[in-house]
Amino acid sequence: MKKLITYFILILTAILMLYPLLWLLGASFKSNQEIYSSIWFLPEDFDFSVYFNAWKTNTGYTMGHYFINTFTVIIPKTVFSVVSSVLTAYGFARFDFPLKKFFFTLLMVGMFMPAIVTIMPMYMFWNKLDLLDSYAPLTLPSLFACEGMFVFILIQFFRGLPKELDEASRLDGCGTIRTLIYVLLPCMKPAVISIAVFNFLWTMNDFINPLIFINSTEKYTLSLALRTSVDSTGQGYEECKIIAMSVIGLIPSVTVFALAQKKFIGITAGGLS
Amino acid sequence: MKKFLVPIVCTLTLFSCSSETVKKTPPDNRLDKCTLRFSWWGGDDRHDATMKAITLWNARHPSIEIKAEYGGWDGWTEKINTQISGGSQPDVMQINYDWLVTLSSDGEGFYNLNELEHFLDLSGFSDDILSFGMVNNHLNAVPVSLTGRGFFYNSAVFERLDVSFPETWDELLETGNIFYQNGCYPLDLDVQSGGTAWYLSVVYVQQKTGRNFINMDGSLGFSIEDIEEAMEFYKLMEDNHVTRNVRTRIDEDGNGALYQSPSFIDGNVAGVLEWNSAVGKYESVLDKGVLKAGGYLGDGNGNNSGWFVKPSLMYAISAETKYPDESAEFINFLLNDKDCAEILGTSRGIPASRYAFEELEKNGKLKGLTKENSDMLSEIDTVTISPYMETTRMKELCNSAIERISYGEDISITAQELYNDIIEYLESVE
Amino acid sequence: MKKYKNPVGVSRFTGLILISPFIIGSVLFIIYPFICSFITGMTKYDGIHPPEFIGLTNYKNMLQDKHFLKALGVTFKYTVIFVPLKLIVSLLIAVLLSANIKGMGFFRTAFYVPSILGSNLAVAIMWQYLFTRGGLVNQFLEIFGISGISWYGDQKLSLFIIILLRLWEFGSTMIIFLTSLKEIPREYYEASKVDGCSSFRAFFSITLPLLKNTLFVNAVLQTISALQEFSAPYMITGGNPMKSTYTVGMLIYDEMFSYHNAGYANAVSWVLFVLTSVVVCIMFRITGRIRKELP
Repeated sequence: MKKLITYFILILTAILMLYPLLWLLGASFKSNQEIYSSIWFLPEDFDFSVYFNAWKTNTGYTMGHYFINTFTVIIPKTVFSVVSSVLTAYGFARFDFPLKKFFFTLLMVGMFMPAIVTIMPMYMFWNKLDLLDSYAPLTLPSLFACEGMFVFILIQFFRGLPKELDEASRLDGCGTIRTLIYVLLPCMKPAVISIAVFNFLWTMNDFINPLIFINSTEKYTLSLALRTSVDSTGQGYEECKIIAMSVIGLIPSVTVFALAQKKFIGITAGGLS
Repeated sequence: MKKFLVPIVCTLTLFSCSSETVKKTPPDNRLDKCTLRFSWWGGDDRHDATMKAITLWNARHPSIEIKAEYGGWDGWTEKINTQISGGSQPDVMQINYDWLVTLSSDGEGFYNLNELEHFLDLSGFSDDILSFGMVNNHLNAVPVSLTGRGFFYNSAVFERLDVSFPETWDELLETGNIFYQNGCYPLDLDVQSGGTAWYLSVVYVQQKTGRNFINMDGSLGFSIEDIEEAMEFYKLMEDNHVTRNVRTRIDEDGNGALYQSPSFIDGNVAGVLEWNSAVGKYESVLDKGVLKAGGYLGDGNGNNSGWFVKPSLMYAISAETKYPDESAEFINFLLNDKDCAEILGTSRGIPASRYAFEELEKNGKLKGLTKENSDMLSEIDTVTISPYMETTRMKELCNSAIERISYGEDISITAQELYNDIIEYLESVE
Repeated sequence: MKKYKNPVGVSRFTGLILISPFIIGSVLFIIYPFICSFITGMTKYDGIHPPEFIGLTNYKNMLQDKHFLKALGVTFKYTVIFVPLKLIVSLLIAVLLSANIKGMGFFRTAFYVPSILGSNLAVAIMWQYLFTRGGLVNQFLEIFGISGISWYGDQKLSLFIIILLRLWEFGSTMIIFLTSLKEIPREYYEASKVDGCSSFRAFFSITLPLLKNTLFVNAVLQTISALQEFSAPYMITGGNPMKSTYTVGMLIYDEMFSYHNAGYANAVSWVLFVLTSVVVCIMFRITGRIRKELP
């Protein structure tokens, strides 16, 4: 009975969560008129050529090209970000050092400033280094653990692990880095994976940074490519093609999440059955 | 020591970038080998056509390569603003009319095209049209096309109710009442990005008084009384159900644009005041041929003046370009070349250049609602919109004033406040 | 000389070396933009002409700027209502999703979809269909005899549809909860079952206390992002009606890019920055004792 209720709630909520996705799928086969006049997702008829056109895009590059661009940004960025955030969080959570309070405050404070106001100084900075229109402004900052949020989350997870773990490992003769890699990280897998997933998904959706830093169409990321045909000031555009593109663009995000979700939770729940 | 050095270095980087005086390269009347960056925003049609035009250019000028930088409208202003602040903007840019104020209020923000007449042939443009791009006696930009807001109606609804399109302001009010009895509205006026509520009210007062809301030089032409009258006229339109009041409008449509709302698609709102260069999106959500152009309203005694025109898009050259001659030659190609005109068609509106226009006219490429409305516009006495009226800030001031009176605030107090705000704003940009 | 509490054989520099990427990064990506922003905040700067130093004028103007003051009010109201709701919703769903039922992977993915969609067109349109006058929500309420609620048009209600949107995107917060729910040893629950505790009581006596830390992390992160809120109202209401959903984040964006007032935008950012610091500092202070009581 209890299970039934749980299922009932779950299914009901899932519909609420998934409907927009369903609607997007349907809308990719609709005319503008049909899209805006009804909330019902089923289109009047299906014409799959829209997906063919969407994949081809009108920019001279296929969506495959933009996918590759996007991954060229996302993969190094995610790796950089995870490594640097883990090291920094480890340092903050397990060690005492001069100016620790100052640096922790700096880390927190870095999150308090609206990101928009840092765009201009950063633009000047990358301009001076002559790195505009390259992926450096999008990826290199992640080397420096400046996404305070990730570090902050990881610090809390490090704190949740008993200090005895470190001590035992040190008694076994492990150094600082080996303790991290062989003892602590395995316990923190879910947290590290969630950081990586957040990084992936947010970079996938990020629009303003690529917009400001990338000029050449051949270097556009997917989020930019999606909006290349959208001109709200002009004579209008076929919405279905943009929607079809965005449906294709959602596939990696949904896949990555579906693959990773098992890792957020596992042992405890698995053990209960 | 280091601790103090860091902020100083930072400060220097910031200000060295922004306070550098413009390094202007004078024209040398020769075409050198170079790569030009050209940026524009738009939709698929414009991208396609422009890329084809660039291919043609490259065939003709193998030594001057064009590097295209293009995208959608979303965020484009932000991008260009950042580029200009950082001094790394493209050589040739497609710009919006109000950018003349926001990016070049002293006329120094873009290259003075008058200096480039060796390559840029302006004989295809009347002085009137060129005056749109004049700032402080510098020709900052050339209009690509002109546009004005016109009435476009859902003819099916008008036929069903057996009403003809209004020709005068009184008829408009009457139409509102007839429509209301049938549960619909003849027109949509908004206080969002379009700002048509204020636009139409201003036109009404301009027609009546012969004064312009804001003059080309950025001075306020209206008195407080004029502003108050415009607001009262807006209220009158609401009271006669010409348009939904602001609250009903967002209750029914949310924050979406009219062409995305069921109210328009189902015919409950049967008209829109839209730039003739952007009417396509309304046309495409109704059945084919249903959207029709209506006439400009007059007072019934032959006075139908006061209606606005503006350049819909312009080309400008960066003030800091190293290749002014080459850029001028490229703009000349885009504006005047017959083969190029053929390729570009109406992807940037009906060309303002006589040469391009004649080419398209000859080939029968000019038709449709845009052309119909543009013909009507050429038959009446028009007023040039001041770029100062087109800035986001100005629109915001006027829109929120209309919103306030629609939500029931006192007209004369709101008029006074709007008047003060406008004066203050205009002083701040001067 | 100060004593540093480190394990035996670890010098006080080990930590510094570990965080050295952050130290370099903070100069480039935190301190440098902050200083630039602070200086810009004391100038009149349109992004085009050289900035003109005007001291604290921008800050003085803020006190008389009714849009700013209103936006500040809206932002605070939004934060105060939104953050607790978001924590409750995402925690409850995390607990629901940590149950071990067949097909849970599907549900977890489904529940994260809204957060993946972000500012996709579908979201704005969906909200329109839900909350406009004849929308689904009103049709549903009609069953209970409540009719014609004006969600978009009423100045008091408009903020709620934005809150609802952000609540709907509970995914990331939920994941942080899920990850730490996983770390609670299941023996605790088994023991409480033996003692005859209902699962309802187990939640309050076991889950909640052990989640203190995570709860705090999420509360801080949500507060920070709520105070900077910008994209949801931008997409759903555009700040309307009558600026009742116009947040400080939107004001900064508008001043920066639409009104070409980079100086003012930066000054407002600094005010928002200081306010956020104060709020977060208070959060750290009042929870400090409770957080230390952890096992």
